[in-house]
Amino acid sequence: MKLSTNYIVRVLVTGFVVLTLLSIPLFWIRFLCNEILSVWMPREYKYVDIEPTGLLPDNLENDPNIERHSRVYARLDEWEYPHLGIIEYFESTSPGESRSCLILSSSEKDWAYFDNKSGHFVFRYVETKIMPDSDKLEREVQYYIGPEGISEIPDKTLGRFIEPIVDSSEFKTSLWKSGRIILYDKKLRSFFAINFEDRNITKSRQLLKDDPRRPIDIGILNKNDDILDLYWMLPKVKTSENNQVRTLYSRERFGSIIKEGDPDYRPDKYLLVLDESGRIDLLDKETLEFAGSAGRLPTPATLFPADKNATPDDLLAYRILPMALKEDRKYRGLFAAAVNREGTALALSVFDANGVLIRSDHTGERDYRGRRGTLSSRAVLFSFPGAPAITIGRFLLENLHPPILSLASYFTADSFEAGSGHRALLLLPNSFIAMKGRDARDDNIVVDNIVVRFLYALLLMSPSIVLAILLAWRVGKDAAFIGFSRKTRRWWLLGTIAFGLVGYITYRLTRPKITLVTCANCGKPRRPDTGICHRCGSKWDVPELVPPTWRVIDG
Amino acid sequence: MLTLIKREIHDHPLFFIGSVILSTVLIGLSIATLKGHYWIELTAFDSPAGTIVSTILVFVFFGMGAVQMDTDRTRKISAFISILSVSRNRILLAKIIAGLLAILIALVPLAVTVTILLRIHIPPIPVFHVMVLEIFSGTFLITLACYFIGLQAGWNSGRLPPVIIGLILTCILLTLIIIKGFMPEIMIILTLFTVASLIRTWHLFMSTPL
Amino acid sequence: MNDNVIKVENLVKYFDGRCVLDGINFTVPRGCIYGLLGRNGAGKTTIIRILLGLEPVTRGRTFLLDTESPNLSPKVRGRIGCVAEGHNLIQNYKVERLIKLCKDLSLQWNDESFGHLIETFRLPMDRKVRDLSMGMRAQLNLSLAMAIEPELLILDDPTLGLDTVARRQFLELAIEVIQKQDRTILFCSHILSDVERIADRIGILTAGKLVVDCPMEQLKERIKKLRVIFSESVPANLYLTEIINQQIQGREMTITVANWNKQKQAILETFKPSSCTEIPMSLEDIFIECTKPNPQPVEVS
Repeated sequence: MKLSTNYIVRVLVTGFVVLTLLSIPLFWIRFLCNEILSVWMPREYKYVDIEPTGLLPDNLENDPNIERHSRVYARLDEWEYPHLGIIEYFESTSPGESRSCLILSSSEKDWAYFDNKSGHFVFRYVETKIMPDSDKLEREVQYYIGPEGISEIPDKTLGRFIEPIVDSSEFKTSLWKSGRIILYDKKLRSFFAINFEDRNITKSRQLLKDDPRRPIDIGILNKNDDILDLYWMLPKVKTSENNQVRTLYSRERFGSIIKEGDPDYRPDKYLLVLDESGRIDLLDKETLEFAGSAGRLPTPATLFPADKNATPDDLLAYRILPMALKEDRKYRGLFAAAVNREGTALALSVFDANGVLIRSDHTGERDYRGRRGTLSSRAVLFSFPGAPAITIGRFLLENLHPPILSLASYFTADSFEAGSGHRALLLLPNSFIAMKGRDARDDNIVVDNIVVRFLYALLLMSPSIVLAILLAWRVGKDAAFIGFSRKTRRWWLLGTIAFGLVGYITYRLTRPKITLVTCANCGKPRRPDTGICHRCGSKWDVPELVPPTWRVIDG
Repeated sequence: MLTLIKREIHDHPLFFIGSVILSTVLIGLSIATLKGHYWIELTAFDSPAGTIVSTILVFVFFGMGAVQMDTDRTRKISAFISILSVSRNRILLAKIIAGLLAILIALVPLAVTVTILLRIHIPPIPVFHVMVLEIFSGTFLITLACYFIGLQAGWNSGRLPPVIIGLILTCILLTLIIIKGFMPEIMIILTLFTVASLIRTWHLFMSTPL
Repeated sequence: MNDNVIKVENLVKYFDGRCVLDGINFTVPRGCIYGLLGRNGAGKTTIIRILLGLEPVTRGRTFLLDTESPNLSPKVRGRIGCVAEGHNLIQNYKVERLIKLCKDLSLQWNDESFGHLIETFRLPMDRKVRDLSMGMRAQLNLSLAMAIEPELLILDDPTLGLDTVARRQFLELAIEVIQKQDRTILFCSHILSDVERIADRIGILTAGKLVVDCPMEQLKERIKKLRVIFSESVPANLYLTEIINQQIQGREMTITVANWNKQKQAILETFKPSSCTEIPMSLEDIFIECTKPNPQPVEVS
């Protein structure tokens, strides 16, 4: 039986519907598995600390009365796992987020946004001036800011920003109105400093075309910070009063705790700049020039080791905390924590003021002496009660996915941003096969390694391939049974092998609904809508009807 | 064509009246919400509100599609009309236009009202207007897709399993909004899905004996 | 323009693996009243539904007004009037609303003749269709079909439920339609006296085949029922072909033969029967003979 265009359209359309509707429940089951895993994960897989931090001066860190050294810790919080699209959408419209042009909305009257059409920032706020007679004069002002200047009326001469990123750390207080706000435009490749008090804008040198630096964020460097906590603590010192241990705050000896978001913390000299390669640089706030490296994003462990540095897109979450003491405000280094794509491993690093890595640690199993064993990215799959069942369940679920899409996930594994992988429906960037696709070694130019990696990936897909072949065999058998032509059967076989369960369901839904009748010649079922039996080629005979032999037909 | 559309509206007045009532209620709620909060608090409402509105509309219009087709099969309306000077294409098109009209009656006044209210209460920040457009487009597409599923489910009249299956599929499809949000990618998926559902509905209607 | 208003080519229809129509071929020329007959379940309604595009064929093709049935355009449909078996109207509509719907959807509508019909039948406008009697529904159905001044009228057991007077009125209406130039009727009915009155061509369906398809006058000429008395016993083999029915009682044989001609007469005469009398048959008698399930000769004691 030949195919009509109608039938082909019907198959394609039904296939798409089936693919969409099947992907959704599979997504939810995978999501459930991940959530259960996230909740059941032992504490040591979600928590890592470093003590001492190594950034405090020796006189503070090595005080003879010290009880506990300074400490930095990072924790993965399972209760806030906002990777569903609806939450992401909701959050992305908040000020400063990726899809929001709103950069500030601290009150009804203080707000700012970036107008894509004009390429200007629009700042509206209440300006307070102290008059000579000590009276306060408040007025609402609105400024339009472009790369060439600031004006109270929109003006083309202000120029156009194209793809700006703003240091929003200054917006934590209202002091920005009398200070400077620094921003970087990705397309213009320059830094800008907006001075509201003087109503001017300072521009840095444009980064050259061949300059490898590609800043993607400045100021507060966070991603999905609500699933990742990062804190550091001063040392605990025994005091002379009653021999009690407590943290001593003294203007003479210690600064008060300085951490991100602290209103007292002013990064006087430097601003952190995150590059798309994962490197963190220091920017001199006065000169708007790079002032050296501050470190880089830590690379959390993955299931299949990848000997390459993590980039921001590779990480589900990260948090960078610069460190300074209040007494001198001198930049002393930074703490950086990062979570891998799958959310199963956390890495913590400490970099000194010169950007040199001085301490690092990863989540993983610990023995009774606190020594680290298997890294959490591996341990999470099998090492605690319930984990094997979830892992196997997840593995089997991934193998229900169409093989062709699993294969595509392997080849596109690096193309997806980490967070979006948790919302993926058709391609699965967080599947085992995609993880294997990201398994990159320094010697990856060796062909053998690529081939071995691919074969391993096929091994991971083997249940899916076996299922697809089984289903294709059934489809082929049925297609022959109902009299599809050889060409049509071949297409169905290929389609079912490529799409697995989706292909099989599509076939069942689009299969012609015909009741076969027994051929009087060969005795096998044949289609009543074909002129000859598709098995023996004989013409029609309807033995159950016995019409008379005579006819009275005119003409 | 107009006669057929009028006939559909006349035969299912409850859905149109229901759309008007629903739209009015939602407009009232929107006004109350916008008036009762500062505009900076409104980002907390956009997605939950969009999801709730989508959920209500999806089930209502799945029901409309199912009832339209079930009534048609039970009363053999298409069988009668197709003998007249009307093609089957037009009969189906009239049903779909009537359904589309009901969906637009529910959504458009709400969209217009929300847009006007945003212009009045909120500074001219593009993100809110873009959000309104995205949420309403997403809601429209998913409602339309579930309406087509309802048409297919209702066509198998007299049998409960297809309706239950249709309802389950509607619930599954609705969770697509939770998975993807109202991002642009969902518009692509929903548009393709809606077109696919439409073609399937068309084929089902055209190939079934009346 | 083709002279054949209806054309059926090698029509085969299966329902769930059961063959109902097995290779039906016939044409209905313009201006003809074609009576399609068959027992219950023979497939008459199926043929009509296939012709109107309401049912798909399993194999074969059907044409109405030069258009293949699945592709009937609204314009072509507007030239066809149909009174379906069971009078399938929209039950929950009021008569008035149903009339308005049909009027708005038709290409042409004769208000005058329709009004005349409604008055004649005295149909209540404000009642719902489901509250009408079967006869009233038939009348309404017929009126709606006639109002569009159809080129082709398809009637599937239209007088079902009509009283004698209403039936007669209906037949007269049908004749009135035919008298208009180029009008054609396809008529199915179990009331064969009605068919005999108006049809000028007959088709009889049995066992999935169209066994009869010829003009009415020819039918009576070609199918003969004879009572033959032999002097001795009835011969075992008469060497006659196309025997529809045969009943033997002693020396007497009643035989119904199709396509009776001089040749067959001569063959019979070679057996020197004592007498050979023709039994006149009405259409009903012919129909019963043609659709009897058992064609083997029957010995009656």
